[in-house]
Amino acid sequence: MAALPYFDEIDPSMIDVLLITHFHLDHAASLPYFLEKTTFKGRVFMTYPTKAIYKLLLTDYVKVSKVSVEDMLFNEQDINRSMDKIEVIDFHQTVEVNGIRFWCYTAGHVLGAAMFMVDIAGVRVLYTGDYSREEDRHLRAAETPLFSPDVCIIESTYGVRQHQPQHVREKRFTDVIHTTISEGGRVLIPVFALGRAQELLLILDEYWSTHPELQNIPIYYASPLAKRCLSVYETYLHSMNDRIRSKHAAKSNPFVFKYISPIKSIENFKDVGPSVVMASPGGLQSGLSRQLFDMWCSDRKNACVLPGYLVEGTLAKTIINEPKEVTLMNGLTAPLNMQVHNISFSAHADSAQTSAFLEELLPNNIILVHGEAKEMGRLKQKLIGQFADRNVKIFNPKNCQSVEMYFNSQKMAKTIGRLGERTPEVGETVSGLLVKKGFTYQIMAPDDLHIFSQLSTANITQRITIPYAGAFSVLNHRLKQIFESVESSTDEESGIPMLRVHERVTVKQDSEKLISLHWSSDPVSDMVSDSIVALVVNINREIPKVVVEAEAIKTEEENGKKVEKVIYALLVSLFGDVKAGENGKLVITVDGNVAELDKQSGDVVSENEGLKERIRTAFQRIQSAVKPIPLSAS
Amino acid sequence: MGTSVQVTPLCGVYNENPLSYLVSIDDFNFLIDCGWHDHFDPTILQPLSKVASTIDAVLLSYPDTLHLGALPYAVKQLGLSAPVFTTEPTYRLGLLTMYDQYLSRKQVSDFDLFTLDDIDSAFQKVTRLTYSQNHHLSGKGEGIVIAPHVAGHLLGGTVWKITKDGEDVIYAVDLNHRKERHLNGTVLASFVRPAVLITDAYNALNNQPYRRGEKENEFGETIKKTLGAGGNVLLPVDTAGRVFELILILEQYWTDKSLNYPIFFLTYVASSTIDYVKSFLEWMSDSIAKSFEQNRENPFLLKNVTFLINKSELDNAPDGPKVVIASMASLEVGFSHDIFVEWASDAKNLVLFTERGQFATLARILQADPPPKAVKVAMSKRVPLVGEELIAYEEEQNRIKKEETLKATLIKEETKASHGADIDASDPMVVDVSNTHALPDVAGPHGGGYRDILIDGFVPSSTSVAPMFPFYENTFEWDDFGEVINPDDYVIKDEDMDQTGMHVGGYLDAKFDEGSTSMMLDTKPSKVVSNELTVQVKCLLIYMDFEGRSDGRSIKSILSHVAPLKLVLVHGSAEATEHLKQHCLKHVCPHVYAPHIEETIDVTSDLCAYKVQLSEKLMSNVLFKKLGDYEIAWVDAEVAKTDGGTLSLNPCSTTAPPHKSVLVGDLKMADFKQFLASKGIQVEFAGGALRCGEYVTIRKVGDASQKGGASGPQQILIEGPLCEDYYKIRDYLYSQFFLL
Repeated sequence: MAALPYFDEIDPSMIDVLLITHFHLDHAASLPYFLEKTTFKGRVFMTYPTKAIYKLLLTDYVKVSKVSVEDMLFNEQDINRSMDKIEVIDFHQTVEVNGIRFWCYTAGHVLGAAMFMVDIAGVRVLYTGDYSREEDRHLRAAETPLFSPDVCIIESTYGVRQHQPQHVREKRFTDVIHTTISEGGRVLIPVFALGRAQELLLILDEYWSTHPELQNIPIYYASPLAKRCLSVYETYLHSMNDRIRSKHAAKSNPFVFKYISPIKSIENFKDVGPSVVMASPGGLQSGLSRQLFDMWCSDRKNACVLPGYLVEGTLAKTIINEPKEVTLMNGLTAPLNMQVHNISFSAHADSAQTSAFLEELLPNNIILVHGEAKEMGRLKQKLIGQFADRNVKIFNPKNCQSVEMYFNSQKMAKTIGRLGERTPEVGETVSGLLVKKGFTYQIMAPDDLHIFSQLSTANITQRITIPYAGAFSVLNHRLKQIFESVESSTDEESGIPMLRVHERVTVKQDSEKLISLHWSSDPVSDMVSDSIVALVVNINREIPKVVVEAEAIKTEEENGKKVEKVIYALLVSLFGDVKAGENGKLVITVDGNVAELDKQSGDVVSENEGLKERIRTAFQRIQSAVKPIPLSAS
Repeated sequence: MGTSVQVTPLCGVYNENPLSYLVSIDDFNFLIDCGWHDHFDPTILQPLSKVASTIDAVLLSYPDTLHLGALPYAVKQLGLSAPVFTTEPTYRLGLLTMYDQYLSRKQVSDFDLFTLDDIDSAFQKVTRLTYSQNHHLSGKGEGIVIAPHVAGHLLGGTVWKITKDGEDVIYAVDLNHRKERHLNGTVLASFVRPAVLITDAYNALNNQPYRRGEKENEFGETIKKTLGAGGNVLLPVDTAGRVFELILILEQYWTDKSLNYPIFFLTYVASSTIDYVKSFLEWMSDSIAKSFEQNRENPFLLKNVTFLINKSELDNAPDGPKVVIASMASLEVGFSHDIFVEWASDAKNLVLFTERGQFATLARILQADPPPKAVKVAMSKRVPLVGEELIAYEEEQNRIKKEETLKATLIKEETKASHGADIDASDPMVVDVSNTHALPDVAGPHGGGYRDILIDGFVPSSTSVAPMFPFYENTFEWDDFGEVINPDDYVIKDEDMDQTGMHVGGYLDAKFDEGSTSMMLDTKPSKVVSNELTVQVKCLLIYMDFEGRSDGRSIKSILSHVAPLKLVLVHGSAEATEHLKQHCLKHVCPHVYAPHIEETIDVTSDLCAYKVQLSEKLMSNVLFKKLGDYEIAWVDAEVAKTDGGTLSLNPCSTTAPPHKSVLVGDLKMADFKQFLASKGIQVEFAGGALRCGEYVTIRKVGDASQKGGASGPQQILIEGPLCEDYYKIRDYLYSQFFLL
């Protein structure tokens, strides 16, 4: 539990997409927990080979883990369930989720390892995961993306350290082994079961085939898991490099080794004379590699070759400093006499690769992750020097420390269809629908909506009939008292009289006892029709009432007050702190920014442009809501 | 104005000829597909030859002859030099298809339209993409993005989406929207409202209902019956396309019914084909991917099917009923042709066609109803020369050799200078390519002679009069891949260097099946003997549709769903094209085109557009409403110019005039009915209107069946007397829309 990432610090339900770069446990092992035991509801993506090996690896992990059942974070069923939720993505394939687009590039490192490029509203973020820029025996080197990302989140495992050239490392590796076994010693190579081990096997097999004198020396590889993963390696050849593919094309399976034999456990291993054994785990914590280490560590003829990155706190990291004695698994101490070599094949980028990669990418922001703090700090200093003359920001955040960057992305919209027929001059107004899909914007006329999107518009025509027994002319008179625009005419077909109120609502006398109202739905027309309906109902109910003129004047005054009240109330609901200032102005304070609003002219005075704009628009909207209905419907 | 788009069919309109279309987007010329038929008749490529040199990029959609067969010829003979884009399986399987075609042809004729080298060099131009990969073109095509998408039908099959300035041109032919054993259905339906859609009318009249399980069972039963009666079954198939589906069906059927009749898969490239297909799981259906992820089961590790690459192996197989899956599907050439001739006269045998034969091929003739009683076929065979013929041939070769010696000397004199300049350009990377490709070249009758001369070296020029020291200029022989060299010179002794020496070309044809290689390298002089014979067709002929194409009805519904602004119809018989055109005019969109060969149609969208920048100020005041994938808002804005000179939109300085309110949404009467019912209102349909409660009716005015571009906004009428229900129902109705 303590080894989980700091999931407490985030809200899993807020995450849309989860991307897994490769199958190594430090990158994927808490996935079943995260998918099954948290509130995460987003989508998960990884490459085909990663998904296939992920399952094998984690299932194995659950089986061998010595934790008691109660302490287990997830079991095999959780892994199987997680398989259904994981979606696959092929290299370079672009996937879009909620407007977020992402795709991945080959990262080297291990089979199926990917670097993800995520594009959110035009801001591109590259996450390298573990990557290597060196082509090896079976994997391609990491690609250089075509586009320069705005942010590059890059691993810094090796910090400012430099790898030896590949052939030098290989030569050291094979030389150590060759010398040791020719002197009658045994070679132990502790490795992680999958990934780099395959590369070492390829190297050993090749070396044996070119050195016939070694061919009677056995090489053992103790990993049933790797054997199970073999079919994955055989199938996803297209994720590997051309060397492997050409071997496959030449009909020899590159992963069927001639000089390497598998063993299951220490019981199956006959320790008679020189041999080479590759065994997991890579850190010599326990398991077969540790058992062999305990057996062999006191003999100075033997050698231990540590080919991977050495994690702090493991025995592997300890013995690299060549202590005189080591503690065995049974608690006894034994002298450490065997030779210990650390020849790194871990396929992480070194300092030179990182520099060169960033030089090609030229991101505006670099975020260093995945590395020891000290080493990362040194790398940061080096990069600051490298990019000193350019405007590049470099961050090395600690866990849970968020890095904030601001991008002034320019939102571009395309005006299309009827609205786009003519490019407007400066100062003209453009009115239409702004349609946003993902992160693209289009402006169009309402009538074009169904052409350019799957949305459509509708007109709702309403027809309501009301019993009305009175004379039509009375109705006409009463309507004219209330509404400014009432036109009377007769229907051309039937010859019945009709009235048109505010060019919106048509009132017809359908028969002696019924009138009907016709209008096309929109808020204003609905309101007009409602008041007509109310009027008609009133006429039906009572005899005409004399309207007192004085009342009307008073109403106007009252209306003025009412309007102010409404405006005030609405502004308070929008901005909170609104006070009456001098000269009938309103003083609005938001987050310490002060603005003054002139209620008559609608002018806003403020030092903060954004606030000024917001108040102005809000005020305009409020005004249009409380103002009388305009005469025409246009 | 929008992006200019022109479409010119070069082949394959108003008939079922191979597909080949020229699509120009802002003067960037795409050749989409480059097909040929099994007759390899160069005359149908006439229109292509006129434009081949102006092509800027080639897009291939399927790995069969009809979609890419002419590529080697066009590259070799017609001056096509553009880069080619396709998917990994289309590339690989297309290459195998072409090898198979060539080897089948070469066996029975002096086929000289292209060689294996030409196939390789044509396919060297291919850039391989994955599905949904947005590939940005550079140079002349700056701003154009191409992306392959899943099409179904064949492994690696592609729907091409070409995007420029936000406008999509989609090319989608021979689709299959259904999921099959090894393939996913097409994703075409996920594209909506592209500016232009180019599709085919091939299956427009075919409305066969599709029931996979039933059909596959019938297929198995039919075969089993013949085998049970002691007959043989021949399945003429394509080299590397539909055959995978058939193999999987048979494999499954054999396993289910525990049959043990042998199944042979016989093409010149059969075992390579299966080897490759095993590593293409990423491109196959979800169920295959899933079963591999879960159990690492590769469905192409076949238990019941044996791969053969030459016919003698089949002849050596034990007698008794068997199933033979052999190429070509047309029965024109290939193993299927030979086997048909052998088996046709036995009434016990069955020839089971799984796809319609190409026009005017033997397969098509046999698929006629009623089938012909007898057919005339040409039987050709390549035999080694003997006796006098051999002597005559050798003399001829010698003569040619001499002539060429002479010619080559002259040519060399002329070109010496120019070669010198280019030498630096050849880098060692090209080297491997040329040496692997030099192998098959030996097969060509002229190749040997030419080579001798250049290796012999310097021939003293007859024009030089004065005595001079011999001057040995380093001359270089060139072929399509650059300088021809001795590979040994380049073998790098240093261990570490062999890492870098790897590249694509090296394995291109390393994978030849040994049998075919030996045949190719067989430089023994030979000739083709042919005779025509009449074959009595007594065997059973059955056609079952396993083409894996969407039927007419589905195509129509997909089209009306996609609802392109403009639609171009290609590939399909005249009747089918006309039928689909009329249908689409009525139901899909008002702009449907079916151009004839070499007729250029302009499908530039009449869409007008300009770009504006949305200022922060404006955006902070916009209230978006969310509607499915969309967010929508009404804007009133004032146009201004930014410092960069682009137009930008700022908030209005004056109050904008009120606008007519817009109701956005799509009302489905049936859904609305359910909605009302759920709210406790009695609803029923009556006379096309929805009666709600006792008095209120709601109806949709206008033609509701009309979909897509032709129709305007929906007209909805609600009527009723003044009552409480009226207002309640109106509120529910409003709730279905967004008011802007």
